Amino acid sequence: MTDTPRLDDLHSHSEKRTLIFCAAGAVLGLVVAGTGLFTAQGTRIAGVPPEDVATVNQVPILMSDYVTALQASESVGLDKASPAQKRKVLGQMIREELYVQRGVELGLQNDVIEVRQALVSAVEGQQAVDAASTQPDDATLRDQYNRHIDKYTGDGLLTVSDFIAPDMVRAQAAVATLRAGGHPSGVKPSDKVADGEEFYFAARIHLGDRLFETAKALRSGQVSAPIQLPDGVHVLLVKSNIAPVVTPFEQARDRVLTDYRSDKVSRMQAGADAYLRKRADVQIAPGFE
Amino acid sequence: MKRQARIAFHVVTPAAVLLMIAGSLWWRHGVSARQIAMLRSDPEQVLADPVLRNHALADGRKVFLTHCTSCHGAAGKGDPSKAMPDLTDKDFLYGRGRVGEIEQIVLHGIRAGDSKGRDLAEMPGFAKAEPYTREKLPSLTPAQISDIVGFLRAANGNGGYDLARIGRGHKLFSTNGACWDCHASDGAGDAAVGAPNLIDGVWLKGNGSEADLTDIIEHGMAGISPAFQHSISAYDARAVAVYTASLHPSVRAPS
Repeated sequence: MTDTPRLDDLHSHSEKRTLIFCAAGAVLGLVVAGTGLFTAQGTRIAGVPPEDVATVNQVPILMSDYVTALQASESVGLDKASPAQKRKVLGQMIREELYVQRGVELGLQNDVIEVRQALVSAVEGQQAVDAASTQPDDATLRDQYNRHIDKYTGDGLLTVSDFIAPDMVRAQAAVATLRAGGHPSGVKPSDKVADGEEFYFAARIHLGDRLFETAKALRSGQVSAPIQLPDGVHVLLVKSNIAPVVTPFEQARDRVLTDYRSDKVSRMQAGADAYLRKRADVQIAPGFE
Repeated sequence: MKRQARIAFHVVTPAAVLLMIAGSLWWRHGVSARQIAMLRSDPEQVLADPVLRNHALADGRKVFLTHCTSCHGAAGKGDPSKAMPDLTDKDFLYGRGRVGEIEQIVLHGIRAGDSKGRDLAEMPGFAKAEPYTREKLPSLTPAQISDIVGFLRAANGNGGYDLARIGRGHKLFSTNGACWDCHASDGAGDAAVGAPNLIDGVWLKGNGSEADLTDIIEHGMAGISPAFQHSISAYDARAVAVYTASLHPSVRAPS
């Protein structure tokens, strides 16, 4: 007669107990796996997830987008919208999604310029998301500020009169008169210069590089030597010349942050360009390398 | 006795494990049901529902403290010296303070590279040869900028500005400066593009002094708000939007 081990006798081997525990473990595993599979956030199997209003071929239409569309299209919130309004807006969004998916099936991204441009912009935007939201500390920003201090230096201010003489003799006479504090004769004021104070960049545009560089080097109240140019001999009277002033870090902080992020976006996009090229199989015809 | 203890052990242990699993599932179901209710409800009605409101404010505050305080501060008051908007004042830079609008900003950001985000305009810097990259605008001279500053200062109730300067500034505001295009002809701003109200005494950067206004007009501004779509859950986005909306004086949560 065979002596069958008891289930509760842990010191003896029991095949029955082993099978029971094995089955219990399998059932428990299936329950856990099923729960995870059918209820996990983002799962597209167990109906429409709570953050979505619908799914179209398992592509979600976000509830937040739906609420925004309702507001934009019908000027009404979710609670106040009538069933007809809700159906209408949802119908439009589902139609759009279906057409987008159909467009992808047809390969329109290869043919339609607007789609291609939008895709390029969207990918660039995605690459920029993390960089654009980076929040550097003050030390990093100060470093950025110090390394690019010229960006945070305001433009200088120049108030200048430009006289044009027909020849060098009259120009030199005008210089002497101006330096003596008088009004020159035999010369005419240039119509290039704005009447009043200008930023350096504007003065450069109005005067041209050569006259501007001359004016910039003069202090307030000084008169230039005659300058021969194709349209005559110029004499500059600098009424006021205020050199560029560095904007304090505290005042420029938001611009420094914007520039820091912008630089980071550029670096990330350059990296993405290199990565995409590296992983792609690009073949170029002979003569076009 | 030994046998009874063994039986008790074999009954109690699995029962305890099953109880823990059931409890955990029940708790998770409760949280999940609450989250579903929140996500499926009209975002504008969450604050009106006492249960959803309490959970949204509690959960939203946690999200706010994790993701928003580095710019807006723990109390949401921002920092005008850094052009970080105050979320507790009467002004809304974008939209009207609706939960749905805030949620969109949380998810898609402002000038954050997300095409669903807000990015229609930015403040040009008029002390440049090309003030604006999006469209052609003329530069302004120092005198013109000074006139606009005078006009804006006077429009905010500051005295000491002569009528001629105010008139010139007003004219520039409506012509060459193109200020009206975003800030509206009356200077009341346009929340659709994030153009601040310039006549209500609330300033996004600085305190409305001549120096601050001159700096902004000369150099421009383009703040950003990150897009959190891929870093927080839809529930957290809704909760933090509700919490942020609750900071507004008209709906501020009772302390």
